[in-house]
Amino acid sequence: MEATCTIPASGHGLSLGWSHKHRIAEAKGGKKGMGEFLQYTVIGLTVGSFYALVALGYTIVYGIIRLINFAQGDLSMVGAFLGWTLLVSFGLDRLPLYLALIIAFVVPMLGTAVVNLGILQFAYKPLLKRSLLAILITALGMSLLLQNTAELIWGPRIEAYPPNLLPSTGFFMGPVHVTYVQIALAFVSLLLMGAMVLFIQGTTVGTAMRALAVDHDAARLMGINVDGVIRLAFVLGAMLAAASGVMLGLYYVQIQFTLGFLLGLRAFTAAVIGGIGNIPGAMAGGMLIGLLESYTTGYLSGKWKDVIVFGVLITVLIVKPTGLFGERVAERM
Amino acid sequence: MIDRLANHRVARTYVATRDQLARLPFWVRVIVILGAVGGSVLANGDDYVTAVGVSVATYAMLGLGLNIVVGYAGLLDLGYAAFFAIGAYTSALLMTQAHWNFFATLPLAVLFTGTAGAILGYPTLRLRSDYLAIVTLGFGEMTRITFNNWDYAGGPNGILQIPWPNFFGYELNTQGDFFIVGLALLAVAMIFAQNLDHSRLGRGWVAIREDEFAAESVGVPSLRLKLFAYVMGGMWGGLAGAFFATRIGAIDPTSFTFQLSVLVLIVIVLGGIGSLPGVIVGALVVVAMPEVLREFADRRLLIFAVLLIGMMLVRPQGLWPRIRRKPKPFYGLEEEESEDVADKILREHQVQMEERDRRHAAAGRQVPQRGEALLEVEGVVQQFGGLRAVDNVTFEVYRGEIFSIIGPNGGGKTTLFNCITGVQKPKRGKIRFDGRSVVGLRPHVIVSRGIGRTFQGIRLFKQMAVFENVMVGLYPRHRTMTWQAMLHTPGERNDEVRTLQESRRWLGFVGLESVAGRLATELSYADQRRVEIARALAAHPHLVLFDEPAAGMNPTEKLELVGIIRKIRDLGITVVLIDHDMSLVMRVSDRIAVLDHGVLIAIGKPAEIQQNPLVIEAYLGREEDLVEEQAEGA
Repeated sequence: MEATCTIPASGHGLSLGWSHKHRIAEAKGGKKGMGEFLQYTVIGLTVGSFYALVALGYTIVYGIIRLINFAQGDLSMVGAFLGWTLLVSFGLDRLPLYLALIIAFVVPMLGTAVVNLGILQFAYKPLLKRSLLAILITALGMSLLLQNTAELIWGPRIEAYPPNLLPSTGFFMGPVHVTYVQIALAFVSLLLMGAMVLFIQGTTVGTAMRALAVDHDAARLMGINVDGVIRLAFVLGAMLAAASGVMLGLYYVQIQFTLGFLLGLRAFTAAVIGGIGNIPGAMAGGMLIGLLESYTTGYLSGKWKDVIVFGVLITVLIVKPTGLFGERVAERM
Repeated sequence: MIDRLANHRVARTYVATRDQLARLPFWVRVIVILGAVGGSVLANGDDYVTAVGVSVATYAMLGLGLNIVVGYAGLLDLGYAAFFAIGAYTSALLMTQAHWNFFATLPLAVLFTGTAGAILGYPTLRLRSDYLAIVTLGFGEMTRITFNNWDYAGGPNGILQIPWPNFFGYELNTQGDFFIVGLALLAVAMIFAQNLDHSRLGRGWVAIREDEFAAESVGVPSLRLKLFAYVMGGMWGGLAGAFFATRIGAIDPTSFTFQLSVLVLIVIVLGGIGSLPGVIVGALVVVAMPEVLREFADRRLLIFAVLLIGMMLVRPQGLWPRIRRKPKPFYGLEEEESEDVADKILREHQVQMEERDRRHAAAGRQVPQRGEALLEVEGVVQQFGGLRAVDNVTFEVYRGEIFSIIGPNGGGKTTLFNCITGVQKPKRGKIRFDGRSVVGLRPHVIVSRGIGRTFQGIRLFKQMAVFENVMVGLYPRHRTMTWQAMLHTPGERNDEVRTLQESRRWLGFVGLESVAGRLATELSYADQRRVEIARALAAHPHLVLFDEPAAGMNPTEKLELVGIIRKIRDLGITVVLIDHDMSLVMRVSDRIAVLDHGVLIAIGKPAEIQQNPLVIEAYLGREEDLVEEQAEGA
């Protein structure tokens, strides 16, 4: 599909937006003004829905154990590669489309959940009672470990999802071109987010999670299995991340082991902008970051995209550290 | 093992040398050891080894800078490469575009990085430490991308052909030259870092790491100290960057990625967070390991990731841990007779008070005399959600009296203290101290205005010795400047000795001189409260607020406490106290205020309060409250 793509020599510089830019270049052809703006909006919302999924994972884990799980973005990468392995190496793409897609989503989600549980049990659990610094450094180490292990397994090269798996056709809504893939991916994201909200607001386990976000000891005294709920949060976070990883693969086609770094950063930014611990906030934050990125790329230049995103992060934290929609985390003294 | 081999001549020499070294001052040791290492590497003459040595020195310098931020101030900085980049680009641009001498570019490189650190740090250092980690990470990426997009600085190609440094006509162009310069910079960095660690700044940083809220409340300007560490660390990064640029001769944005920030973090985590020799060990591992284990060089990040996690889990103190000096209280100070101590404190305190009063009078402010209002609380309201914790409270505290605030639990007493000390900002109302409003000031500013406090739940610095806790209380009264601390000048030394002397006097004042060297947590509950009192007094306050000082004390200890409170009043310090022990409050207070559900229901002399029907109702009218309260008080 997209033929050229340059990766800066430093692995970490990988820009997720390379094919994004291409799409925008496509969109620019001929259309100006309002049409152009709407076109960027469509792209921004699609990408934003991926960010929102990862941000949701950040927010759930942070809400419960106050840990920025730096590995969250890298879990997306793991999910993307698991999906790729299934579709390409195992030849799932020869199955009927809907079946292939279901497997390509469900298996990576489960696999990544297992990975994240292992991380929790092995690395974070022993440190939960220790200093914040120790656990943050460990989380950072985990992110590095995931990246480099993925490089070891899947290699440093860029891999491609089957390009013709999904139809590249779409339709015009006025001047705006919307592809079926965009619609489908945004729909799946919304579905997952909706399921998550229903789960957390509507079920007993979800209520236990919210209780834990306020006070661990009190929750324990009420008979809540605190360790079990923490594990559940890690499973949910990983599943959301993996789903977004597979979606990224399907949307951008090309994936590389470094894609988690910037994805994670942008998603974290989204979670903070929405107010950490705040679930609707994380979703809105993800959409905002997606839009911001799309408009910056379209109107300014893709080169400045991350400068703008981080500039917004720093500004929000200075002006309103609790995020635009208010955080839902009990204050510690 | 060394001892077992002590007969062996080599071992004997080693032990003797080690002991001799340990007796030398730190700066001599640094110069001797770095000189010896440098000499042997240069004598070896292998260019490759020397080149590795230069890299180790560069990483060690970066590590020392980051160590001030992470190790001393406890702030996780994940964008440290940004400072390295700003320093490198500043120096390289000045050398290539303006043809400056390398050494002339250094001050500007340091100045620019320091400015960048201050601009980023000032608004963001108030944030939670985990947010700060992300903000710094973002800053690192922004800086790299900006250089990458900046055409004047060569864009992605960077700056090429950076000239060699010229040192008074001598061109430094061999690895050996750079090694010498690198070691010299490293030695300076180590000596400065060591001096800072053992100055009042170091003490302030430890206090902030342990309990930022308590540190701020006893007068440590926490934001300023954090900013200082951040800017300081950034400046070292800038210096290292300038050195790196001229040594490599060409820089581009890929030299300053997130990966570099992480590598420098790994240097200090491996070596031991906060440990100076640890930084060198860490730099050796990070630079030399991929050189030695060539076949694993491609996998070095994987290995580092495993090491990073493994260290945190198994050996969080690092390979060469920071050794906390065994505190020697009052080492080298002459003995003082205990009767003298009380006199000295009295004299010293009176001098301080008079000086303050004179200053205030000179500034045209009215100085409250004995018996006049020192603290005026007027219509103060504090609200949490729908709950009015303090509801329109008005009273005055007169200079020189002991004033108690009593009332059932949840009456708003501690909230009122928090409003007075600047921990919370009242919703409405005025609070004036010495005739000046203190509403909206940061807690440490209020301490320096002359209000000290203790806490309901004890908040001592647990990893510090008792006398160090009191020395933290003396923080606002230091006169030393930072540069003096860095150079460990005679002025700074005198100031430290004076601080030590005074902390001893205050400990003597509360009767704890004999346990000065113990860790604060080793003391009994009652003694910990007395340490808190000494820490609050050390700042020479005009007014002290004691929040339930008698909680958890037995009758004998309470009796002693009454004695201490009276002694404090006799120094001329006004005392405001919250307590539940009626007999203590009635015995010691000149006047009493009663708060119930945030409302002031009575104020007056102890005898009047005992007769007041409202007070009796608040306390005795609802018997179940009293029972609960006693249960909680115990």
